[in-house]
Amino acid sequence: MKKGLSLFIMVYILGFWSFSSGQEPQSPLHFYNVDTEKKIKGTIQEIIMEPRYKDSSPFLIIKLEEKKTHQKFIVEISPVRFFTHDFHKGEELEVVGSLYLKEGSQNIIARQIRFRGEIFILRDKRGFPAWRGSGMKYKKRRKGKRF
Amino acid sequence: MRSKNFLLFFTLPFIGIIVIFFVLSSLNRAYIKNKTEDLVKEQLQATVEILKVNISHFLMENYSADQIFESYARKENIYYMALLNEKKEVLSWSSQFEGYLPLSLQSIKDEESWIIDSPAGKIFNYFSPFSVQEGKEYFLYLGYSLESLEEMVVYSRRNFFLIFGLISVIGIIFFLGIYQLQRHYLEKKREAEEEKKEKERYREISAFTSGVGHEIKNPLNSVSLIFELLEKKAPPDLQEEVGAGKEEIQKISRIIDQFASSLRPLKLRKETFALAEVVSSVRGSLIKESDKADVEIRYVESSSIALKADKDLLSQALSNLLRNSIEAGSGGLVSIEAQQKKKKVLIKIEDSGRGIAEEDERHIFEPFFSRKKQGLGIGLYLTKKIVEAHEGKIEVQSKAGLGTTFLIQIPGG
Repeated sequence: MKKGLSLFIMVYILGFWSFSSGQEPQSPLHFYNVDTEKKIKGTIQEIIMEPRYKDSSPFLIIKLEEKKTHQKFIVEISPVRFFTHDFHKGEELEVVGSLYLKEGSQNIIARQIRFRGEIFILRDKRGFPAWRGSGMKYKKRRKGKRF
Repeated sequence: MRSKNFLLFFTLPFIGIIVIFFVLSSLNRAYIKNKTEDLVKEQLQATVEILKVNISHFLMENYSADQIFESYARKENIYYMALLNEKKEVLSWSSQFEGYLPLSLQSIKDEESWIIDSPAGKIFNYFSPFSVQEGKEYFLYLGYSLESLEEMVVYSRRNFFLIFGLISVIGIIFFLGIYQLQRHYLEKKREAEEEKKEKERYREISAFTSGVGHEIKNPLNSVSLIFELLEKKAPPDLQEEVGAGKEEIQKISRIIDQFASSLRPLKLRKETFALAEVVSSVRGSLIKESDKADVEIRYVESSSIALKADKDLLSQALSNLLRNSIEAGSGGLVSIEAQQKKKKVLIKIEDSGRGIAEEDERHIFEPFFSRKKQGLGIGLYLTKKIVEAHEGKIEVQSKAGLGTTFLIQIPGG
């Protein structure tokens, strides 16, 4: 019983440590690489808020499942304060962004998203963040037009 | 030169100068900007060379790429930088903007520099290889802010537009001023030409009238002599008719003399005299000749005024004006006020008579213009001629039913 309890405590502490270390912003090797730009369309599975960059406020992260292939992507949207619209699980989202692999997961830094018929531009074509200068731009959806 | 042509004559070269200034200044600014960019580029390349030496030194001392970048991450002017291995794989990078590293490895050459526009301003990018002593090759990618250069460009542009605007405004004001002056000059010239034409017309009329007068006077004199003879030899019952005929002949002769004197050019014989004395003499003779019993002519002067002018002509002018004033009213007061202002004498003659109709006001100084039954229309014309011969001015202010004021300004006080 005691062994079981100490094992539980150890697992708990380890888990807490690993969780805490996961929350720390690390020096990221991922940047907005224009060479790996990709467009995916999927369904929102999970919405997370976590720090991404050093000295930056928490980011809005979406776990997305692609419709056709059922592949899962972790999509970095923007700082939470910047994107004021609410996402809901099960909603559709179309993302254009830079893809990178991290610990076996497919990650995307979003540049532009289409959500509820509206297009939100989060970064410019070279990846400059809209919340650091130009501000977010909206485009109304036009029938038949793709981005 | 017509007004429009004149405007074009001045404004077109001005617009030309402005355009040349604009073009030259723009070219000059572009040249300076390019030169400055080149200079900045050279300096940044030198900075990067120093950075490369420092980084290779750190690498030799087995510092990790992250540790090395940590020391450069806070440099204000370095927006982003990255260290890449010989396969051009990013080993470490840092950026002041989340995830922003505008490096496309697909198109980049081994050594290259370029400038990109971003919402944070222009960024000078430099991608360059370097080696450490062990023979390992690395690449350094750097994004350097050109904010100060842009500030300089903005400052230069702002100054340019300020100077350009200032020159334009000054030029427009200057040429509008010249345009107005020229318009004024043209107007005066037109007036002078009209006056000249008018004078020529009067000269022609004068010559013609003098000629006619002369031709009439000779037979009139003969007729007058005949009447005198007739008067002596006529029977008593015809004496009266002959006398009346003689008077009519003499009247015609006087009228011709008046015409002749009004048309003759005036010759001034100036002398210094007291104005009060002239006014007094004129007043005396007018009151005598006037049939209006209650006429009062009042003279007021600010100080004792001595005037250098042609006494007889001035008397005649004042007499004409006062006679008009007396005839205009049914008795009452005619006032004369005189004052000296520096070397000018101002005389104001005011009556409370019937006044002059508005449409007649501008014609009253014209010869042969009169609304009086007995008038020839020479008096005021002659008065104006006398005043102008003295290089003076005469004006009239009148309101029908309320009276008339004549203002004379004569130099020589």
